[in-house]
Amino acid sequence: MTETIQLALKTLEAQLNQPLETALEACARCGLCAEACHYYRAEPKVEHIPAFRAEQLRSVYRYEHDFLSRLFPVWTGAKKLDEPMLANLTEIAFSQCTLCRRCTVNCPLGVDTPLMMRAIRAMATASGTAPEILVMLADAAIEKGKDPSFYKEMFLEQIKEMEEQLRDVTGDENATIPVEKQGAKILYVPLAGAHTILPPAVVFNAAKEDWTLSIFEASNYGVFLADVNRAKQVAKRIVDEANRLGVKEIVIAECGHAYASYRWDVPNWFAGQFDFKVRSLIEVLGDYIREGKIKVDPTAIPEGVTYHDSCNLARNGGLIEEPRYVLKNVAQDFREMTPNKDEAICCGGGGGLVALAEYAERRIAAGKPKADQIKQTGAKVVVAACENCRLQIGDINEHYNLNVKTTAITDLVVRAMRLPKPLPGHEAEYLFEGEGAAIARE
Amino acid sequence: MLTFQLLALAGLLAGLYGIYIRYIETKRRALPADNSPLKGNPSHGIAYAFTKGMMPWAKESTRLHMIAYLRGIGFHIGIFTSIGALLISPFWRNLPPLLSSTLIWALTIGALLGAAGGLMRIIEHNLRGLSLPDDYFAVWLVTVWMAVSAVAVWNEAWMPAYYVLSAITLAYIPLGKIRHCLYFFFSRTFFGKFFGRRAVFPHPESMK
Amino acid sequence: MSEAKLFLDFKGLLCPMPVVKLAQAIKQIQIGEMLEAVATDPGVMADIPAWTRTTGNELVTLEKREDKTIRFVVKRAK
Repeated sequence: MTETIQLALKTLEAQLNQPLETALEACARCGLCAEACHYYRAEPKVEHIPAFRAEQLRSVYRYEHDFLSRLFPVWTGAKKLDEPMLANLTEIAFSQCTLCRRCTVNCPLGVDTPLMMRAIRAMATASGTAPEILVMLADAAIEKGKDPSFYKEMFLEQIKEMEEQLRDVTGDENATIPVEKQGAKILYVPLAGAHTILPPAVVFNAAKEDWTLSIFEASNYGVFLADVNRAKQVAKRIVDEANRLGVKEIVIAECGHAYASYRWDVPNWFAGQFDFKVRSLIEVLGDYIREGKIKVDPTAIPEGVTYHDSCNLARNGGLIEEPRYVLKNVAQDFREMTPNKDEAICCGGGGGLVALAEYAERRIAAGKPKADQIKQTGAKVVVAACENCRLQIGDINEHYNLNVKTTAITDLVVRAMRLPKPLPGHEAEYLFEGEGAAIARE
Repeated sequence: MLTFQLLALAGLLAGLYGIYIRYIETKRRALPADNSPLKGNPSHGIAYAFTKGMMPWAKESTRLHMIAYLRGIGFHIGIFTSIGALLISPFWRNLPPLLSSTLIWALTIGALLGAAGGLMRIIEHNLRGLSLPDDYFAVWLVTVWMAVSAVAVWNEAWMPAYYVLSAITLAYIPLGKIRHCLYFFFSRTFFGKFFGRRAVFPHPESMK
Repeated sequence: MSEAKLFLDFKGLLCPMPVVKLAQAIKQIQIGEMLEAVATDPGVMADIPAWTRTTGNELVTLEKREDKTIRFVVKRAK
């Protein structure tokens, strides 16, 4: 047995808790999960049935753990793990499953196939066979946490420039983007890039929020690797920052996996050091609208708008009605996709897939069911509250000629706030109607 | 007959012991605590998972494959009827005729539904692609057991064969795929806890 | 002008795509050679230095230009 295989098996053993063993044992191979998977819907073949994928790990588990399988491996399909099998498992877990859990909710037994795919991802990461780019991105994020000084000066310069843009578009000379503000109520954690900083900054300033911007980004590639050690190190940067500043809550940018991990996993990883609430920016936007802290013009967006439920936000995160509340307040013509909410079809971009260029063709092919859904709505604007989903919808938009615009919820809210000037890059969307402008500042 | 009855009892006890061992082994594994702040209610999620969540209209998959799902439900009701029938088998001859014929029909229907499932595994491309020897053996074993149960309720001459088959079937439960009967409870419980905590199932707004 | 062997246009790409593309592109040049890229997403100001630090490659230049684009030169060291 090679060292790679030993490491992979050791990692499987280490993960073998009650939920994982249950997932490995419970499947009756009834095949009802087939159509739940967007890969199967796009290309119906046995290999695309979630149960078939899971079976590849089960065969390894049975060989190691099952009495009957040890005596008669052929009877239960048990196999001794070897390098080609590990390579196959790795490819399945990283390129044919976005961890969306649609198969789980459609399974009569509730088998958690993504949990098994995560187990494989962890085995691949530990044995050094996981996709290199995900490891690089996770390690780069950890590096930023170790010593932010190497980029902090440049980062602050960028923020100063953004602050000028903020003042320009809002017409508010006092608008700010505070960084490392001690005692702020909210620590807002963006993604890398201005597009997740400037629009929320507009909203926070309009709502007169006591907030501060994180110097780190919310995305966590350790989560995609199912490497809890790396994922914790990435998350620790933000947990430490929140503790250092003494904030009351962390607000996560529109990002599916970041919200799901900070809301549902990170409190468990950092039990005892986690005294703040975690909310999505979507929830905060909803509160501001509900409480009248920001004024939005419900007629500002006349074109048909549809919403794509990110699997991490909706099915795995519980944010189902919150985005709809916001959108119904800013979009005149809101149209649901079918199916939606907990039954929403994955766009194909989750699980770190958008960062894996080697699987781009497969990813876009698996996006076909989502493309069909979008087409059926006839909407011109597709809103997604997750960066990976937006990137994927952008790609399928081009590939399947959908002719739609992909945008974030915050961008639409800012548009509905009718600023004196449009946000950079959003000029074409704005209809300036003189006196209608800037009501949000009133 | 007592020998055959004792054989069946031994099979039942072996099956129960095997399932108990599996239960203990799984319970011995770590159960990660979830201390993330609640949005919904895990208990409500578990209740949902075992009730409304099992309804044929609750999931897209079962709406799409309603007949296959109902066949499976019927088959499993047949299996539990079979187990119940075994426990009262010494008193079969004392059953009122109506109850006796109802039992025969229930077991026959269960066996027919099992046979349909067994045939589907052979005929249907996806199911064939997913199936292992264990799957074919398990479905036909249980189906034949139910069929023989029905015949034995009707005709006493089949009792020895019935008890032998009962022993084999029950003893096989923990060894092969039939042990999913135990993991069903684990799985739906974890499902309910996960989605209940997140207020996905039951979803408060849509009242699903 | 740099002595870059490869020129890449990352304008319009949002993070992490510049890093993803850079990691792919660096394999196209030899050790000791350089590549030059232009990006617009300010996230690269932190992501590119972090990537070079973790991968052991050398960040020769990283600058914000008048036109608001960000230019950087990376030398392959591994």
